[in-house]
Amino acid sequence: MSPISDDLLRVEGLQVHFPIRGSVLDALLRRSRGVVRAVDGIDLSIRKGEILALVGESGSGKTTTGRVVVKLTRQTKGRVLFEGQDVSALWGTRPLRAYRRKVQLIFQDPYETLNPKHTIGEFVAEPLEVHGIGRSRAERRDRVHAALEAAGLRPAADYAARYPHELSGGQRQRVVIAGALVMDPEVIVADEPVSMLDVSIRTELLRLMLDLRRERGLTYLFITHDLSLAWVLADRIAVMYLGRIMEIGPAETVIRAPRNPYTQALVSVSPSPDPPEPGVSSTRVILSGETPDAAHVPSGCRFHPRCPVAFDRCRVEEPPLFDVGGGQQAACWLAEPGAPTAEAATRRPAASTALLG
Amino acid sequence: MTTGISGRRQWPLPKQAVPGAPLLAVEDLSVRFRMPGGPSVKAVDGVSFGLDDGEALGIAGESGCGKTTTALSLVQLLPGNGRISAGSVKLFGIDLVPKTERQLARYRWREISIVFQGAMNALNPVRRIGEQIAEPIEVRLGQAREASRKRAGELLELVGIPRQRATAYPHELSGGMRQRAMIAMALACDPAIVIGDEPTTALDVMVQAQILKLLEQLRRDLGLSLILITHDLSVIAETCDRTMVMYAGRVAEEGPVRRVFTAPRHPYTAKLLSSFPNIRADRRTLGIIPGQPPDLRTPPPGCRFAPRCSEAMPQCTTEVPPEVRFADGVRVACHLFPPGTPGSLPGTPGRAAGAPRALAGGVS
Amino acid sequence: MSLPGVAGATAGASAGAGTLRRAGGGAARFLARGDGLVGFAILLVFVVIAALPDLFVGPLEDVTTATGQPLAPPDFANLFGTDELGRSMLNLTVHAARISMTIGLMATVITIVVGAVVGIVSGFVGGAVDAILMRISDFFLVLPTVVLALILAPVMLDVIGADAELFGIRSTLLVIVVVIGLTSWATTARVIRSQVLSLKERMFVDRARVIGAGPGHIMWRHILPNVVNLIVAQAVLTFAGAVFTETTLAFIGLGDPSAPSWGQILNAAQAAGAPGLGAWWYIAPPAVCVVLVVLSFTLVGNALDDVLNPKSGGRR
Repeated sequence: MSPISDDLLRVEGLQVHFPIRGSVLDALLRRSRGVVRAVDGIDLSIRKGEILALVGESGSGKTTTGRVVVKLTRQTKGRVLFEGQDVSALWGTRPLRAYRRKVQLIFQDPYETLNPKHTIGEFVAEPLEVHGIGRSRAERRDRVHAALEAAGLRPAADYAARYPHELSGGQRQRVVIAGALVMDPEVIVADEPVSMLDVSIRTELLRLMLDLRRERGLTYLFITHDLSLAWVLADRIAVMYLGRIMEIGPAETVIRAPRNPYTQALVSVSPSPDPPEPGVSSTRVILSGETPDAAHVPSGCRFHPRCPVAFDRCRVEEPPLFDVGGGQQAACWLAEPGAPTAEAATRRPAASTALLG
Repeated sequence: MTTGISGRRQWPLPKQAVPGAPLLAVEDLSVRFRMPGGPSVKAVDGVSFGLDDGEALGIAGESGCGKTTTALSLVQLLPGNGRISAGSVKLFGIDLVPKTERQLARYRWREISIVFQGAMNALNPVRRIGEQIAEPIEVRLGQAREASRKRAGELLELVGIPRQRATAYPHELSGGMRQRAMIAMALACDPAIVIGDEPTTALDVMVQAQILKLLEQLRRDLGLSLILITHDLSVIAETCDRTMVMYAGRVAEEGPVRRVFTAPRHPYTAKLLSSFPNIRADRRTLGIIPGQPPDLRTPPPGCRFAPRCSEAMPQCTTEVPPEVRFADGVRVACHLFPPGTPGSLPGTPGRAAGAPRALAGGVS
Repeated sequence: MSLPGVAGATAGASAGAGTLRRAGGGAARFLARGDGLVGFAILLVFVVIAALPDLFVGPLEDVTTATGQPLAPPDFANLFGTDELGRSMLNLTVHAARISMTIGLMATVITIVVGAVVGIVSGFVGGAVDAILMRISDFFLVLPTVVLALILAPVMLDVIGADAELFGIRSTLLVIVVVIGLTSWATTARVIRSQVLSLKERMFVDRARVIGAGPGHIMWRHILPNVVNLIVAQAVLTFAGAVFTETTLAFIGLGDPSAPSWGQILNAAQAAGAPGLGAWWYIAPPAVCVVLVVLSFTLVGNALDDVLNPKSGGRR
């Protein structure tokens, strides 16, 4: 749909398989007892200035995907392209220098990301030091202060002298954001950046992320388990399950008109503070069981054992992502163009609400 | 209603129980924490609420608002530096506050049990879950080993775990299963009240939905009385009859969930609700609460929310707002609703205005 | 001002720590702690005494210059009493401080530097480097100190000559330093490695990678400051151990009789039958000195740990 030149970041055919090594002997002989298919063949593309949310439950491979993009984890197969250039073969400090300046990561836990022994100023200045940016101390300090202020920490000089334990959770996450901003990056991979924070603090940070995009044209890969957060923040949403993308498309249609039964179930159980109407039965689709572990991926469509509308074909054949119009794609046989049972997917059979298998 | 309690219970009420008393009535509860080298902190300040048999109360609020401290102080499971400095906690009319540790043992777990957030930490990793569920039955209720094992099996089935899994160790269960086992453990002695401390917080959305559904089912089938502590308003919306919103150690607003969540009166409740990302609402319309909760070592005088409140008036910064009760069962502590506001009930104005028995009438 | 002095005295303890950049504020916080100050004062006294023994008690006495009666209890002439040769215990103990402190410090420096470097590199780099370094450390871990000293002493004396001097100490004492260093670095390396293994998984290390930092930067900036407390603790233990080991080695004749250490005095006392004769003054001064130095080291170590840890010291 979109010309390739528009894509700032592309992920093509990404696979990350971790070998399971049982004993020391296994490790020495480099033999493995099967693999954990953390990410199992996904494609993503993010345009400049776009916010793409990668949504999934634990074990979906969303975090691993993010780690591959920021080059913390090696892919088994597939490519990562940044501004059209293949960066998947680059490893080590020197070859990655240029890429590291442009792609930054914000972690889930601001308590853990900040080294307790460093002041805020030292933390934010560290990337400048590593890359030898800024000729003088004063120039670096100015950049650090500018980044802190951009992240909403004013007066910057005051915060720069403090230690992480002297700040609140929300302030710490702002510091982490400042530490990413100081490099003037193009892409920020944000892995559950607000999930540790209180609701009232969260919205301020989401607002900050949106403001920064407007002011600096930042591009985000936003990784979250919370579909509601993706809904309020992202332009497009990709829903992952067990290492695959189940559905991807504009946030509006993925949430309001999901085509994959898994997305439909996720949307139906997503948290909402609206109390249920009295007398109206719950429309929630509660799937039975939990995500299987990625070492034992089911045959066919990997969602079929829990899918309320699975049929024979789903058990043997894995569906590709079908285009369902409007830039939306769904990996479900019911979304195949001309599939006769397409509308069955939107019905919710009673069986699916059973608590356990 | 008290006949309901004794009718459902398998075990007799404690001897000192006052006939006709409500299940739980907390009045003017204050909890202080001693801080090293500083003034003590009043983490909970004059909190009152009640709980009827079979009712579910959700205590909402952000970290540090005192919601967990409030719940844990019911059975005085406070950290070493914390103690109840004022107020009463009456279970069946028996005040638990003056009880000694030994006397409290009679009530802990047997009358009031807790489902903790991290099931992995609350379960002993080297003991089978069946044994762990059977233990309180054996120790607290004095049942024979065989009988307690049998009951443990029943409890597991009740929470949706096949009986055969009783021999499993905690690490062999998935996160959702462990949380179910925790719930079974909490139900072991058929307690009068179960406290859920963020029972679904660490779980995936789908598993969270499963657990909430289980709690709903248990409430329906067993007539469970539940106190849910959570920062997640959706959990309360889903499972509770009443909610109590706390801010900086005090009650901001309390009442039936439908009333409070659809027509919040306290500005804090309103802001909290509007800042909750809601998949069913419009995008990017999140409300923002500027600033941070106050440091409880130096709480602001007057209303504690005043420094962050968009509606704050001059008197908010000087005067503690009284709790005012309304005919629809809501009570609110905000100067926007002074005593005598249309719809409010004439009552005792002042801080300790929460009279549980009167409140119970508002629950449909 | 004073903190660099302490840092020098505790050798590896803080020499490598990047945290010294904040020495100004740190020193103030250090001085505010009573226990650290006491420890520091005691250490300072010993350092001064060890550096200038002649100034306090005159040159080292020997049989020819001995002034007192043999095994005389403390009196006004000899405040600490005398040994079996009539030498002043005060004179002996003060001179012994020099040897004991030097050996202890040198052995500690070797142990901590080698142990910290091996531990950090092994833990952080991992893989084959880790496997090889750990096998080597296994070897040194099981090496018995005394046996190693017995083997090394003649070899080293042969190579550098028995009368050679290095940094003002004689080669016989160097043997002791080397032996203590060789046998104790492995423990330090193991302890630090295990801490590094868990630090390596922390998010701030991942973050450092993402901003493009190389392994050297990560080890220096992120790993080292977080093991400083361990290093300080290890340094204290090593120093105490080194003083005791020196005592043992002196006992089996590997010391230098012409340069008395506290350990040697204790052994001489043993040989002279001081315990049986009730000559407590022969044993007490060196023993009290050993205890005092080890204690003050512990006090300083604890205080340093708190000062270097912003969470405990940084309340403002």
